[in-house]
Amino acid sequence: MKNSTTISISSDPNTDIACRTIDKKERSLLRKVIDRIADRCRSRSLFILHYCTGCGAIELPPTITSRFDSERLGIQPMVTPRQADILLITGYLSVKTLKRVILSYEQMQGPKYVIGMGSCTINGGMYWNSYATIKRLQEYMPVDLYIAGCMPRPEAIQEGFLQLMDKIDKGQANAWETYYQNYDAYLGNQQALFGPNWHTPTDVIAEAQHYNFLTEKSIGQHTALLAKFASEYVTQPIPNKVLSQEEAVE
Amino acid sequence: MSEQLPSVLESVFREIPNLAFEEKGARRLRVKLRADTLPALLELLKGRAGYLHLSAISCVDWPTLNEFELVYHLWSYEIKTLISAHIYIPKVPGRYVSVYDIYTPAAFFERDIHEMFGVYFDGSPDMEPFILTEWEGPPPMLKSFSTVDYVEKTFKWQDYSPLVND
Repeated sequence: MKNSTTISISSDPNTDIACRTIDKKERSLLRKVIDRIADRCRSRSLFILHYCTGCGAIELPPTITSRFDSERLGIQPMVTPRQADILLITGYLSVKTLKRVILSYEQMQGPKYVIGMGSCTINGGMYWNSYATIKRLQEYMPVDLYIAGCMPRPEAIQEGFLQLMDKIDKGQANAWETYYQNYDAYLGNQQALFGPNWHTPTDVIAEAQHYNFLTEKSIGQHTALLAKFASEYVTQPIPNKVLSQEEAVE
Repeated sequence: MSEQLPSVLESVFREIPNLAFEEKGARRLRVKLRADTLPALLELLKGRAGYLHLSAISCVDWPTLNEFELVYHLWSYEIKTLISAHIYIPKVPGRYVSVYDIYTPAAFFERDIHEMFGVYFDGSPDMEPFILTEWEGPPPMLKSFSTVDYVEKTFKWQDYSPLVND
């Protein structure tokens, strides 16, 4: 039996071949160029999730169809959250709908962008004194862009799309990362509305680890409540702190 | 159009004690009666005058009264006249009898009123929450429920607030 000799690169996956600790923020020039190209391509091909919550949905047919034709910008509707890039919150969002929106949002693949459309998503709008609608969308999910208006006309929506494309192109539309980085705070706001038994089938903490976005704020007192819903599908053990490399191996 | 009341309606109204009606306009009749006589009125209207269509039941929470006002809107395709039957029921205990056995669509309206005002209808097939399945507060359409207070307690505002602070 032949002895297989393996070249030991490093036992720690966070070091490179020269045993130098990799700074995750640091990127090589080549990587930066690739990212720049990828961002540019990404901004030219965006799919909106076909999910409408309020009266603002009525402005989308003209935006998407022939008159204003957002496909000129590379933006078109998509039927499933798993294939969509943009989640458009069109108008007022009731607490009951918010649950469904969060479920959809968590199923979307990163990078994903949220646009709050209309005054209702900003500060409640004309439903500011309603018991049934939420007031600030950004408490429950990170929002890249708000489009003010009641309702914003298709021109305003197009303008918003252009701004979002510009942000993506420049690599600034990174709000989705904060959902993973501050998951505990977002979950806390959701639990304040839905009660302590609120949980989603998506394993957000495992995704945060996968994307390398896990921070100290990702887990905390609110995510600790999720432990009782861990199952064979949701594998996350919900630790109270970020595990070090040795602890994770154990 | 000021017409004589159709004779069939007149015969129905004569059978109900303490009934008062008012012509609010062409083809619109406002009927006020005692709460315990309403099922009899509906039964008679359906049987004699062709009132097959219960288009809505509405509930009014008068803040100055200790009673809910229930309004039953009925339409006849034969006489082509809308009847709004108004009754008053005490807010405590807030129970009334279901008219589901006369008009099946009543189940939906009664369920809605139970959800929004807390009125319980005896004999209605389903009194479970309908739209507000995840709501645990008081019935939200009651005048005693202050939505502004609830919103102030539950939600936060942006840096500016729509509430005018004097």
